[in-house]
Amino acid sequence: MSTPDQSKGDRSRDEVLAGEYVLGVLGGSERRQVEARLRHDRQFAAMVKRWEENLTQFNDDYAEATPPDQLLAKIEDRLFASAATGAVSKGNLWNSLLLWRGLSFASIAALGLVVGLDYAERIRPKPQAMLTAELAGENEAIALHARYDGSSGRLSFTPVATGGAEQRSLELWLVEGEQGPISLGVLPQTGQGELDVPENLRARLTQGVVLAVSLEPFGGSPTGQATGPVVALGEVRP
Amino acid sequence: MERDDIGGLLARVALKDRAAFSLLYGRISAKLFAICLRMLKDRGEAEEALQDVFVKIWHKAGTYTGAGDDAYPWLCAIVRYHCIDRLRARRPEGEDIEAAVDIADLAPDPEERAMLRSEGGRIDTCLEALDPDRALAVRQAYVEGLSYQELADHFAVPLNTMRTWLRRSLLKLRECMDEHA
Repeated sequence: MSTPDQSKGDRSRDEVLAGEYVLGVLGGSERRQVEARLRHDRQFAAMVKRWEENLTQFNDDYAEATPPDQLLAKIEDRLFASAATGAVSKGNLWNSLLLWRGLSFASIAALGLVVGLDYAERIRPKPQAMLTAELAGENEAIALHARYDGSSGRLSFTPVATGGAEQRSLELWLVEGEQGPISLGVLPQTGQGELDVPENLRARLTQGVVLAVSLEPFGGSPTGQATGPVVALGEVRP
Repeated sequence: MERDDIGGLLARVALKDRAAFSLLYGRISAKLFAICLRMLKDRGEAEEALQDVFVKIWHKAGTYTGAGDDAYPWLCAIVRYHCIDRLRARRPEGEDIEAAVDIADLAPDPEERAMLRSEGGRIDTCLEALDPDRALAVRQAYVEGLSYQELADHFAVPLNTMRTWLRRSLLKLRECMDEHA
């Protein structure tokens, strides 16, 4: 067991290391070590975040410089040209799963949130029988496991963690390809109940689309677009 | 530059809203490009870096979970870290950074403590409590992305002296900011 003095020393050491990381004086391999630690050491990550905020005033030392005209087009080419050919990058969406996996299943709430879809077969060819998505965020506010049964048309959610409870609403969004998000509705405040996916959107809930949950003012986004932070995000897959 | 909207734009970017991405680019690209230019000191590489950074922003926007007002530091951190990684990759250094830090030796003495406590909480004010050279080293490390070795060369002091300077300075700054948080 460490004495208070020792732990204070450790904390100071960590504060210095966090500051060195944010300043940027560390070498490449040390930066990788720090970044690896940031992924699992919340307290240390908070130190780094605090330094970033404390030192953000230094950013005023940078003037502004307009980048070349065609640069945005190049970026969009890099991002969207490949998406247009159907190769949707999954990797980054799934990065958030690291946290999701880290959440203890012991914390699974007994909230069975069942969304009745009343799937109508006439709308379009039947999708794969069962699709699932894990929707996770990095701030622990919530993580959901979503299961969509194509044959019954039922979409069910199991919240696997809740926290930072506020009197706000969670709104579910459907993100298709690179298009803007479409609201699927506000999740029931109690974690119990049913949500009807609008009929005109049911056909679009297929493999490859992304489900996202954002934190919105009570009752849902007033603008029809996500306004709050995205607390969970995940791709629908078989 | 209005920073208030940046958090909202980021949230929309997380939802793959291309229009929001374009707006975000319009809002912050000049600032982020200036950071790339200042740190990399090479226009061609700065353009490449800015592209990489916006690709990262598109993919990482979903991991931004702040309240909105800290979106700007978050974005500046992404671009700075990207440039620092490029700089460190340019010239790999032999690193023996684990040269042990004796924290007791680094802590401010009582006189310095009193001075730090009397100062305000903004970083500029806290920097004023440091020796001017050391304050400058902290600022240059951040703004230019200088490594310990480059700082040591610039200030013509041995590498270990520079490390001690900077680490002492960080501890003092931490204390000063905490006092006035």
